[in-house]
Amino acid sequence: MTKPDFGCLLRILAEHDVDFLVVGGVGAILQGATLSTFDLDIVHSTEPANITRLLAALEDMDACYRAQLEKRIRPNQTHLSSPGHQLLMTRFGPLDVLGSIGKGRRYQDLLPHSAEMTIGEGIRIRVLDLQTQIAVKEEVGQEKDLAALPLLRRALEESRRKRGAP
Amino acid sequence: MIDPTDPPLEATGHPYDSDGVDVTLIRWMLDMTPAERLQVLQSFVDATWKARGADDET
Repeated sequence: MTKPDFGCLLRILAEHDVDFLVVGGVGAILQGATLSTFDLDIVHSTEPANITRLLAALEDMDACYRAQLEKRIRPNQTHLSSPGHQLLMTRFGPLDVLGSIGKGRRYQDLLPHSAEMTIGEGIRIRVLDLQTQIAVKEEVGQEKDLAALPLLRRALEESRRKRGAP
Repeated sequence: MIDPTDPPLEATGHPYDSDGVDVTLIRWMLDMTPAERLQVLQSFVDATWKARGADDET
């Protein structure tokens, strides 16, 4: 099992100029939620040029599908163009590359609901805001998603209070 | 669900909200930069791996 290194995963994606949003546990933690997670979830733009950049980044990470790791099956252009979920293992731990989340929300739909963050060494990433993360989990309605909602709602509330926002 | 009619946590003198969420931890996280929050997560993962004795396998 490979230990996750979130900084390395995000740095490689940023270095390859991949258009992506951080979602899921890491996205929530970056906004103050007190969760824990062992994988990085991203939603990527499925524009062909972006998929080419993403494939180069995934090659640098030695990414293969987690389900049959011993077969070393790598994602390709067709896989990454789909709205499906590509659950990968890399040299830097698990990486979930998601063509869509919730009820078919894709990168272009989510982009207006994201904010840029700097995570060190000049690495800038975009993160899906907590309000939209909550809405996505509510519409998916799976038990594991619902379980995280109280923490996410409170983190959003406290974040707004800190900013003096309504 | 956060109930807007709940008294402010400061008024109750209690660190947990009605869902059992420890608000003091969230405020502690919100006082950090995103880079520092990521470091908190990474430190948690590193410590977990070390406790499992899995570092030698990677």
